[in-house]
Amino acid sequence: MRNQLMFQIPKKGLTVWRLYGLFNTLFMAVLAAVASFLTYKFEWLPIIYYIAVAVVIIVAITSVWLFPKIRWDHWRYEVREHEIEIQSGLFVVKRTLIPMVRVQHVDTVQGPILKKYDLANISISTAATTHIIPMLITKEADDLRGRISILARVAEDDV
Amino acid sequence: MSEKRYKLHPVAAIINFVKGLKELILPFIILIVANGLNFSFNPLEEGFWSNIFPLAILSLISIVYLFSGVIKWWTFVYWFEEDELRVEYGLFIKKKRYIPFDRIQSFNYKEGIFHRIFGLVQVMVETAGSTNGKPEVVLTAITKEAANDIEDITRKVKQETEHLEINESTVLEETAVQNAKVIHKMNTKDLIILATTSNSIGVVLAGIVALLSQLGDLIPYEKLFEEVSSLIKFGFVIIALSVIGALLLTWLVSVLITFVNYYDFTVVEENDRLIITRGLLEKKKVTIPLNRIQAIKIVENPLRQWFGFAAVAVESASGGFGDKDQKVILFPLISKKDLFHPLQNLFPHLEWEQTLTKPPKKAKPFFYRIDFLWLVPLVAICTYFWYPYGLLSVLIIIPAIMIGLWQYRTTGYAMNGQQLTIVYRMLSRVTFVVEKKRIQALESKQSYFQKRRSIATFQATVMSGMMGATARARNLELEDVEAVMEWFEK
Repeated sequence: MRNQLMFQIPKKGLTVWRLYGLFNTLFMAVLAAVASFLTYKFEWLPIIYYIAVAVVIIVAITSVWLFPKIRWDHWRYEVREHEIEIQSGLFVVKRTLIPMVRVQHVDTVQGPILKKYDLANISISTAATTHIIPMLITKEADDLRGRISILARVAEDDV
Repeated sequence: MSEKRYKLHPVAAIINFVKGLKELILPFIILIVANGLNFSFNPLEEGFWSNIFPLAILSLISIVYLFSGVIKWWTFVYWFEEDELRVEYGLFIKKKRYIPFDRIQSFNYKEGIFHRIFGLVQVMVETAGSTNGKPEVVLTAITKEAANDIEDITRKVKQETEHLEINESTVLEETAVQNAKVIHKMNTKDLIILATTSNSIGVVLAGIVALLSQLGDLIPYEKLFEEVSSLIKFGFVIIALSVIGALLLTWLVSVLITFVNYYDFTVVEENDRLIITRGLLEKKKVTIPLNRIQAIKIVENPLRQWFGFAAVAVESASGGFGDKDQKVILFPLISKKDLFHPLQNLFPHLEWEQTLTKPPKKAKPFFYRIDFLWLVPLVAICTYFWYPYGLLSVLIIIPAIMIGLWQYRTTGYAMNGQQLTIVYRMLSRVTFVVEKKRIQALESKQSYFQKRRSIATFQATVMSGMMGATARARNLELEDVEAVMEWFEK
């Protein structure tokens, strides 16, 4: 059995995911409201009311409470001298191994919500793939970006 | 230093124009059909203007295309300066592109019908950066001599710079230049087998069936059926004959398409580069530097596997080859026993026949159980809407399970030293061979159910075009997957 990876995402990240989930739920609620209004206006089947309410409740439970929690539990990462290892996933747990020599560039990305919470995403690009470590404290993210770029420069190899 | 500027051949203007027209054909057809084919050219008639309006727009657009083609040709120049290939075109917006010779990966050639009439060739200049599926520079039409000149000049300059770096090996280089070796050539028999066993035969069949059903309005089927039912014995013969006829037609069309695309398919190795030429009406020539090849894929579709044939494709790092696909077909069809010898010659550092590590017995259900996710709702819907006949859709589960078991039997992997081999199947059996240093990322996956039985899936991604290419070995023993991950770490 391989070792559990060392670093987890900060607890604040979970809050932001819940916030995203809340936006999702609000969006679904608006859709449900429109559907209900149309049902009322054109006298469609009354079952549509129940479906709309059920969908909103399910989306609320999953996207605000359940999914962020599972995802947060699964997310782990480790940046070692020769490789980066990331574990992620909701239903299927993925573990990705990226050798330092393959890293082409590292970006940090920060939207308005992340900025409010002082968080940032790191995205690591190889020639063929892009990998994301989300929701890191901005300072940590910047440090990590710097570290990866130094390690990647050290590890020279022919492509 | 003012260098000599070269222009494209005037035919380039026509080719640009025809290419523009090709893109317009579909909207043209849609418009004309939508108009119900009732064009009148009498301005006094009712609805004349509204009818003629779209036609006028289309003719306007085609005139614009014609002119832009001419202008592009008129303004297009290329020349060589400071060891760069420089290209410039555009009337109002000038576009300039300078490519240093040592950045050029390869030149690829294409000869359409127009080109062949005038002895011209289209040159596509590939660099490592052109990964978005488009070549860096396209010279639409130049004479073959001009194309040779370009290649000579770039090669000369490249070699000079190399000579400066390594003086001793000069003599060796000189002799190596003319060392061209034919790796593979297809004859007519190969082409016919290729056409017969290709996947596209199904597409052609579907096309012909669709065509026949469209003709249904013209052929009085009902009347035919009446007569048929009166002569039931002959009816069977007629149906059998028409089925055989349709199949024969399909086969002929497929052979024809294959001949047009793959006629005179030749693979040549020269100076550590692969040169692939093919085509009957439109000749194509693709060059791949051997060290840009990321992975090799041996594909056997079920029919070909049955007869012991396979196709070989390579994933290459440099972007498109004029077509959109990054996969380059190395051998469209080759018998499996002749396969390993040329591959061994081309890639001496790779091994081809290895014993595979297989998924464990307990993994068997995992290969088909995942299909139930979409199968069960499908069967439920069919049963609900078309009861009782919809119940027959339950039978679809049998082939689904059989394919799953087939995938289980095929799946496997092997790793040794610097090489990873993954064998998997969707329908076709694919053998994916890659060197460790070409793998961009390795990923292991485990669902909740897989975790309970300690089974895991892993996949390797290599660079190929924009998206990369991925090979996946499913449902292996967890320890095996972890061994692969550890192998990759070192």
